[in-house]
Amino acid sequence: MNGILKREALVKWAPLIVLLVLILLFTVLEPRFFSVRNLARIAISSTPALMVALGVTFIIIMGSIDLSMEGTVSVTAVVFAFAFLALGGTVLSWAWLALPLAILVGAVVGFINGLVHVKLRIPSFMASLAMGFVGTGFALLLTGGDRIRVEDEVFRGLLTERWLGFPVMVYVAALFLLIGWFIQAKTTLGRNFYAVGGGEELAHASGLNVNRVRILGFTLAGMFYAVGALMAVGRIGIAETATGNNFMFMSITSVVVGGTALWGGIGGVWNTLVGVLIVNVIGNGMVVIGLPGYVQDAVLGLLVIVAVVLSTDRKSISFVK
Amino acid sequence: MSLDRIKPHLPWITLLVLVAIVGGADSNFLKPHNLISMVADIMPLFIMALGMTFAIYIGGIDLSAQSVANMTTVIATVALPTLGISAAVVCVVAGLAFGMVSGFITTRLLVPSFVSTLAVGGVAYSLAQYLSGQRALYMDATLRDGSFGWMVGKSFGIPHEIFVGGVLLLAMLFLQTRTTFGRALKAVGAGELAAVASGLNVTRIKVMAFALSGMLAAIAGLLFSVKLSGGSPTLANGFLLPAIVAVLVGGTPLTGGVGGVVNTLIGTLIVAVIRSSMLYFEIDATMQQMVFGIILIAAIAMTIDRSKLRIVK
Repeated sequence: MNGILKREALVKWAPLIVLLVLILLFTVLEPRFFSVRNLARIAISSTPALMVALGVTFIIIMGSIDLSMEGTVSVTAVVFAFAFLALGGTVLSWAWLALPLAILVGAVVGFINGLVHVKLRIPSFMASLAMGFVGTGFALLLTGGDRIRVEDEVFRGLLTERWLGFPVMVYVAALFLLIGWFIQAKTTLGRNFYAVGGGEELAHASGLNVNRVRILGFTLAGMFYAVGALMAVGRIGIAETATGNNFMFMSITSVVVGGTALWGGIGGVWNTLVGVLIVNVIGNGMVVIGLPGYVQDAVLGLLVIVAVVLSTDRKSISFVK
Repeated sequence: MSLDRIKPHLPWITLLVLVAIVGGADSNFLKPHNLISMVADIMPLFIMALGMTFAIYIGGIDLSAQSVANMTTVIATVALPTLGISAAVVCVVAGLAFGMVSGFITTRLLVPSFVSTLAVGGVAYSLAQYLSGQRALYMDATLRDGSFGWMVGKSFGIPHEIFVGGVLLLAMLFLQTRTTFGRALKAVGAGELAAVASGLNVTRIKVMAFALSGMLAAIAGLLFSVKLSGGSPTLANGFLLPAIVAVLVGGTPLTGGVGGVVNTLIGTLIVAVIRSSMLYFEIDATMQQMVFGIILIAAIAMTIDRSKLRIVK
C-alpha cells in the first residue's frame, strides 16, 4: 500500500519538480534566462501551445487521442482571417464577430471529428489523424497557398500591449486555463471525461452515454484549438496553411510530459500547464545557452517516451499496438 | 454473393473502375508511355507504403516513415561524395536502426506505436536538420550518375525505378508468404494474445516489422533523393498521408492480420490513378490533400475489423 502511495505521489509531483529543476539549471548556466524579458518570451511561445494542449487534455483524459489539431488550427486561423478582413478588418468594427465565428468553426470541426470516431467506430488516433489531413487540405484549398495578413492594431494588441511586462495574450490564456479548469472540476461533463477514461465499460454500465461524452469532448477540444489558432495569428499576424504546423507533436508531448497518462483517467489542466511550460522552457533554454534550435525535436521525442514509460503501470497492461 | 465475399476483391475492382473512368474521359491516359511514367513516379511512395504495410499488418502504425525518408535524403546527399555507392548502405542501416528503436520502444517500453514512432520521427527530423545544416542540398551530377545512375535510368523503355520497386516487392512477398517470419507476422496480426500463448516470440516479430518499415522508408527516401538529385529535411513531406492511404485502400485494415504487400501495390496504384485523374479532370491540386484525407476515412471505415475492437478508443 505504501509503495503504491509513493508511486502515485512521485508521478503526481514529478513534472513540477522537473520544471523547477530545469528553470534552476538554465538560470545557473545563463542568468539572463530568468529575466522578465525572457520569461515573457517563454510565456508568448507557450500561449498558443497551451490552448491547443488544453483541448487535447480532455481527450487524453478520456483515454482517446486527438491528432487533428494541426488541421483544425489551420482551418480556424484561415477562416478567421478571411472573415475578419471581409467584415472590416478591425476589432472595433463588425469584424469582432470573426472571433466567435472562429471558435464556432473549431467546434464544428471537432464535432465532425467526434462523429467520425464514434459513429464509424474508427480508433480516435486514426480518425483524428485523417481529419487533420482533411483540415490542412481544406485550409490549403481556401488560401490556395497564400498567406493572409491580419494587421489590425487592436487585434495585434494581444502581443504588443503589455501589462507588467507580459503581453495581453498571456492573460487571455490564463483566463481560458481557468475556464478549462472549471469545465474539468466543476461540471458534469468534466467528471464524465474522467469516468470514461477510468473505465469505459463501468461508465457505460452505470448509465452514462459514453458516445455523447466522447463527441462533446472532441467538440470542446476543437473550440480550444480555435482559441489556440487565434493566439497564433495574434502572435505573428499571419494566417496560412502552415499556421498549424508543429502543434501536434508539441501539444501531445506537453500533455504527456505534464503527467496526464495516455491510458486515461489521470491528470488534468494543471498538469498540462506544467507540461507546456517544461516543453517551452527546454526550447527557450537550449537557445539561450547557445544550443542549436533543431535539437529540440529530438529532446522532445526522448522526453515523451520517458514520460509515457513513467506514467505506465506496467502490471496493468499486457500489450500495446 | 455477400458483401464479405466481395470485400477482398474490392481493391483491384476499384483500380480497374478508376482506370476505366479516367481512360474513358481521356484516352491519352491509357497510352503505355503515360501509364509507365505514372507508375515510375509513384515508386518512392510505393516503397514507403510497402514498409508501412508491415507496421499496419501487426496492428500498429509507423508515423516516423516520412521523417526517416527525409533523413535519408539528407544522409544520401551528404554521404555521396565520400562513400559513393556505400551511401546506400548507410541509408538502409539508418532506416533499419530507427525502425528497430521504434519497435523496441513499442514492445518493451509499452508505448503505443503512434506515440513511439511520432517521437522517433522527431529524433530523425532533428538529425536531418543537423546533418543538412538546415539547408536544401544538391548532389553533384557526375557523382550521382556514377553511383546511383542505375536507379533512374531506362531499359527497354521501362524506367529503372519500376525494377527497384519490383525487386523489393518480390523480396517482401517472399518474406510474407514463404518464410516462418511471414507466418508469425500473420499470427501476430490475427491475434496477438493467441500468438503469445502459442509460444511465438511476439516481441521479436514486432520489432522486425517496425525495422522493415524503417528500412523501406529509408530506401524510399534514397530513391527519391536520387530522382530529385538532392536532399533536405523536408524533401519527402507529403508522403505520409498517401502512404497510409495506399496501405488501407489496398485492403490491409488498421486492425491488421489480412491484406499484405500485393494489396499495397494495388492501393498505391489507386493513389496514383486518383492523382493523375485530378490532372485530367482539371481539379485544383490544392484539393488533393483534402480528397485523400476523406478517402482515408472511408477506407478505414470500410476495412476495419470491428470484432477485434471491443472498445473503440
